Amino acid sequence: MPPHDPTTADWFSKEVQPLEPAFRSWLKKRFPTLGDTDDLVQESYARLLRTRRTGSIACAKAFLYVTARNLALNRLRHLRYERPENGAEMDTSHVVDDTKSIPESISHAEDLQLLVHAIQSLPDRCRQVITLRKIYGLSQKEVAEKMGISEHTVEAQGAIGLRKCIGYFRSHGYGRRVRK
Amino acid sequence: MKMASSNLGDDDFGEKQAAEWALRHDRGITATEQDEFYAWLALDPHHSEAWAEHRWGWEELDRLAGLQTSLSAIPDPELLRPLSDRIIRPLKWVMPVAAALILGVFLWNPKEKLTAQLVDSSAPPRIETVALIEERTLSDGSVVSLNRGAEVTENYSKDERRVQLNRGEATFSVVHDASLPFIVEANGVAVRAVGTVFNVRLDASTVEVLVTEGQVRVEPQSSLGGEAGALVGASQYTIIALLPHANEPRVIGLTADEIDERLAWQPRWLDFTKAPLSAIIAKFNRSNGIQITIEGSKLADLSLSATFRSDNIEGFVRLMESNFGIQATRIGENRIILSNAE
Repeated sequence: MPPHDPTTADWFSKEVQPLEPAFRSWLKKRFPTLGDTDDLVQESYARLLRTRRTGSIACAKAFLYVTARNLALNRLRHLRYERPENGAEMDTSHVVDDTKSIPESISHAEDLQLLVHAIQSLPDRCRQVITLRKIYGLSQKEVAEKMGISEHTVEAQGAIGLRKCIGYFRSHGYGRRVRK
Repeated sequence: MKMASSNLGDDDFGEKQAAEWALRHDRGITATEQDEFYAWLALDPHHSEAWAEHRWGWEELDRLAGLQTSLSAIPDPELLRPLSDRIIRPLKWVMPVAAALILGVFLWNPKEKLTAQLVDSSAPPRIETVALIEERTLSDGSVVSLNRGAEVTENYSKDERRVQLNRGEATFSVVHDASLPFIVEANGVAVRAVGTVFNVRLDASTVEVLVTEGQVRVEPQSSLGGEAGALVGASQYTIIALLPHANEPRVIGLTADEIDERLAWQPRWLDFTKAPLSAIIAKFNRSNGIQITIEGSKLADLSLSATFRSDNIEGFVRLMESNFGIQATRIGENRIILSNAE
């Protein structure tokens, strides 16, 4: 599934493909019960490319790992037909571990800056929850443990934060198209 | 599930619940919740729009994943504490020098994201929209627009025109031929049409079908025992859950605006490297109803490097005002004049 335009193809071969061996072995290790991870890898690439096409991404590697983790958890849930009580929320902290790479061209990415400002505008608790979930890719359960609050509270704060972010997006003309 | 009551009154359009559903879907919904979700969607036509927007917004925040990589591997819930709060907490300033520099450039000093200089006339400005969707014409003349990452396989036979959507999202404009049904298959879900225009989006757990012209029949995964299927007409859409016990999908009507918004996956990013202001504005003017003009040749030669959404004129004008001492004068609703503030 190579990207179609030369600029993206070049970026993909330089920034993404070198990650693949480590990415695949991480997936196999984290989600041994899923078996074939090829689908997950391809789907994660597809979402990475789709998202990059419509804007900026802070760090391709982190985005890839978070996406694959979400897809894998989703698949595990479907295998069990309903949300498991425990077990599926695996430890995915330190996904972005010792990498020293500078996030991809964020210095002039207006859109990322707007996302950051949206999070900065949130009340403290919401901001902390959204920061841990979205920037560090922690699951609800991990955030609950880290902050010493219940998963239910994490979810509720996440929903409040999301709604406020949407409000921020709207007031700054950030959307899938211009709002009038 | 408790439907927490909203304190925003009637103009809320279910946005609070939409945000809550986005979070539940993210952590994985239970079978009971899935039924409640469909019931909620069907309760009010605004709900599906609110749902789409909040799910989009939740995914949009993933763009920031890994923003901290240059800072520290230890999750810091205070990473994005606003600057004004940080001043009264001096300990928060203790961070590696390199990290402080990066954060400083990126978060707190908006001037750094644009660089102004006299234009270097020898180098032509590079202006391009980033990436294009791919369009493919199938052997019968029907056209498929593939969203980035989407993949289709054409499996035509003498009895039917069958296309497999392997992944992603695509819009199909089908040439009318009553004798040869056109069938898009997405993870076992079949979308059957004669002559029509419709969009199919395949996710890990759902297939979404949106019809802009004509009518299609959506048949659930045959292996799971579905039979009749739902008819989806123009300006309607449906979500099929890829679950063994999924309910009959509901068909939901959409307004023209909602359809536009769902189909607005075309590229909209403008990328400028050392481009003169006049060229940037020409690019904006081509893709927007609002027209910008510049007063003064010095201003027209101002050179910028930046990335903008092609439809974000407001953001662009605000940046010009706040970073370059440029004054924006609005005339009516559709004209903006930029001039030097002095």
